[in-house]
Amino acid sequence: MSEETIKEEELVKNLKEKFGDAIENVIIPRKNRVWMDINQNIALDLMKYLKEHGYYHLSTITGFDEGEKLGAIYHITDHKTILNIKIRTSKENPVLKSVLSVYPVATSYERELFDLFGIKVEGLPEGRNYPLPEGFPEGVHPLRKEVKLDELNKMLNEKSVKED
Amino acid sequence: MDAIIPLLYIAVFPGFIFLGVYALLMQWVDRKLSAVMQNRVGPPIYQPLADFIKLISKEVVIPENADVILFKSLPYVAMASIITSIFMIPIWDGKALVSFEGDIMVVMYLLIIPTVTFFLAGWSSTSPYSTIGSMRVMTQLFGYEVPLFMSFAGCAILAGSWSISGIAAYFSANPWFILLNLPGFIAALLAAEGKLERVPFDTPHAKNELVGGQFTEYSGRLLAIFLLSIDMEMIVLAAFISAVFLGGLGSFTGLAGFILFIIKTFFVCFILILFKALMARVRVDQMLKFSWKWLVPVSALQILIDILLKVNI
Amino acid sequence: MSKMQIPLGPQHPALKEPENFMLVLDGEQIVDATVNLGYNHRGIEKAAENRNYIQDIYLIERVCGICSHSHVSCYIGAVEEIAKVEVPAIAKALRTIVAELERIHSHLLWLGVAAFELGYDTLFMYTWRDREQVLDCLELLSGNRVHYGMNTIGGVRRDITKEQVDEISKKIKYLKERTSYYVNVVTEEPTFLARTQNVGKLPKDVALELNAVGPTARASGVDIDVRRDEPYFIYDQLDWKVITYHTCDVFGRAVVRVLETIESYKMIEQILKAIPEGPISVKVPWKIPAGEAVFRYEAPRGEDIHYVKSNGTEYPERVKVRAPTLSNFQSLPYCLKQGYLADAVITIAAIDPCMSCTDRAVVYDINKGERKTFDQEELRKYSIEFYKKKGISFK
Repeated sequence: MSEETIKEEELVKNLKEKFGDAIENVIIPRKNRVWMDINQNIALDLMKYLKEHGYYHLSTITGFDEGEKLGAIYHITDHKTILNIKIRTSKENPVLKSVLSVYPVATSYERELFDLFGIKVEGLPEGRNYPLPEGFPEGVHPLRKEVKLDELNKMLNEKSVKED
Repeated sequence: MDAIIPLLYIAVFPGFIFLGVYALLMQWVDRKLSAVMQNRVGPPIYQPLADFIKLISKEVVIPENADVILFKSLPYVAMASIITSIFMIPIWDGKALVSFEGDIMVVMYLLIIPTVTFFLAGWSSTSPYSTIGSMRVMTQLFGYEVPLFMSFAGCAILAGSWSISGIAAYFSANPWFILLNLPGFIAALLAAEGKLERVPFDTPHAKNELVGGQFTEYSGRLLAIFLLSIDMEMIVLAAFISAVFLGGLGSFTGLAGFILFIIKTFFVCFILILFKALMARVRVDQMLKFSWKWLVPVSALQILIDILLKVNI
Repeated sequence: MSKMQIPLGPQHPALKEPENFMLVLDGEQIVDATVNLGYNHRGIEKAAENRNYIQDIYLIERVCGICSHSHVSCYIGAVEEIAKVEVPAIAKALRTIVAELERIHSHLLWLGVAAFELGYDTLFMYTWRDREQVLDCLELLSGNRVHYGMNTIGGVRRDITKEQVDEISKKIKYLKERTSYYVNVVTEEPTFLARTQNVGKLPKDVALELNAVGPTARASGVDIDVRRDEPYFIYDQLDWKVITYHTCDVFGRAVVRVLETIESYKMIEQILKAIPEGPISVKVPWKIPAGEAVFRYEAPRGEDIHYVKSNGTEYPERVKVRAPTLSNFQSLPYCLKQGYLADAVITIAAIDPCMSCTDRAVVYDINKGERKTFDQEELRKYSIEFYKKKGISFK
């Protein structure tokens, strides 16, 4: 195991040296995969550091709802190793900082975070809804766990009947 | 009685009905041949007529901002000018119905009118797609009109006549000169492809970019008339090219002459169809570049050859 | 002339799916372009959370019609990683065959679409006719032409017979011949060259910065391919090479795609020669142990990435789908700017956009609501009645 994952362990060691305790729960389940939780404060610095070291590709941002906390996973890769960086935020006031300054491609992924999870992204320019359609009920973020499929269906059907 | 015969000329033969039927038939040949070349089955023979009837029965929608009178009259102007030009081209006799020195110029000008109506059609519709389409119609006009005119002029110089029937008579008397005019013939065919807005020069109404191009806002009867006049234009242009370059009908008259007319126009149309099947659409700037880099020099060379021949004969 | 704004889509003859491009034109030249997405949101991610793992296979397969096998393999790859399942060799081989057939089908389809966008109808008809052969292969192998339903967690659902091997080898041989002809057309036909060369330029550094993936990136000289960088299935046992090209334009993207099909033929032939023996799948319990995994897959259009989180029940906690088109869309405004309007459609087509993949994910199921709508059977009856009135009967 350790023979295969030298590169990953090296990277984690470097990151730990640089950012210290802000990085937690590092898991290297297999070759090419690294999972870690980080504190929001160091997110941008960490990503800048990663980008300088060849991790130029932000594959996507996955939002998640853990019940008490909301969060996002940033899947960053150099096309060999994927770093899955989890950042959590509170459910009452979910805010994440935009990573556009480091990864200019993140626009649609960050819009998705807001539309589907209601996580406000600081520093994201105003724009159209994505991916939800225009006129979708405001304040409903469908991928949150408290939104049940049946209620969502009912709400949308009532809405479309009213519009007709 | 004297009043009825010209009316028959205009309405039945060689005017509206003959031209319309032949145009629809040629459209079918075009579609069927392209289909065969593309490994498809293709439409049945009555399909173009069915399309035409269906379009005619549809509602005509006129955009709010359009100039209504202009918008409605343009298709008829286009068709009228095309039907007029067929009278100066020999169809069943060595001599055309109307023939005078300089009629080649008149036909050239009459055939510009449809292009201008296409431009005005797009421009008066005021939608962005049709505006861009009509701009392209105009841009393209500057590309093909010059080589087309020049290659016709070469033949006229050689024949020493500015009447279509005169040129046809000259070439049928001296058939070997047809071969010497081959470069001009090819240039004229390619320019005709541009004039008819067919692939590879169909940028004005390239459906992938501009939806319907200059005709985007047209519908129903008006569109049907426009589409039919484009088909008619193909026949007239083919007849024109075959009369000028291929020696017209020679000494054949009556039915034999008419059959020869059909064969020659068919031949020209067949080449036009081949071009369409073989190529992709070029951009409008590439079209201009192509016509000024290749077509214009070739047709200029043709004029030079013809002048040298004329001097030496 | 003043600047003009022209909308391309959501309904436009050049676009087969709803997306919208606002192009600002100065004459024929594009000075600005914005991409608007989200006309096609189907709520697949939410729906996936409410179905069990097996049902999700068939749901995820319907993310896209063209790369259905890609999405489902990617999803299954992630689930198998969480469940720590070792898939039998024959299942891996069969998955690879379907994956490569799908790539061939997608690339031939693309070539046809690209030719259509260029107004080159003959090539369009030719490639789509030959694409039928690939679809026949897929039908022979899986019983279906679009959604193959070949995959299941722990293996595949259908075995391959000797006759199928022979039939597919025969068809691949024919296709190989045809494709070498298309290579000639793409690299030699003058109008095709005139329309694609130096169009939609995407230099290598920009491609890296804007995260282009798949053939779009490879045509800009970016040497990435998940099949080699992180081999899944049996790609590491096959002899093939990653195709890259250096022209950074639409022409390069066409060349990369056509040459990739030839690599795919090579791969399929190798696999067909030595198909492993054994059972086609292993049993996997309905409940997947808690855990999470990310799986990458080289779909015909580029890197497809799925994230699956399991909470120990038979329902996934979260499924995330990132289709390659979404990643490639980031570079599109760059490619469009400074180009001509006439080149806009082919530039858009050159990334092979697939909107149903990209917009996937809110459930808008009208049929369950109070509105009067037809269910399938009613609709069928209605249509039969409708045509009977017109004198057309199918009985």
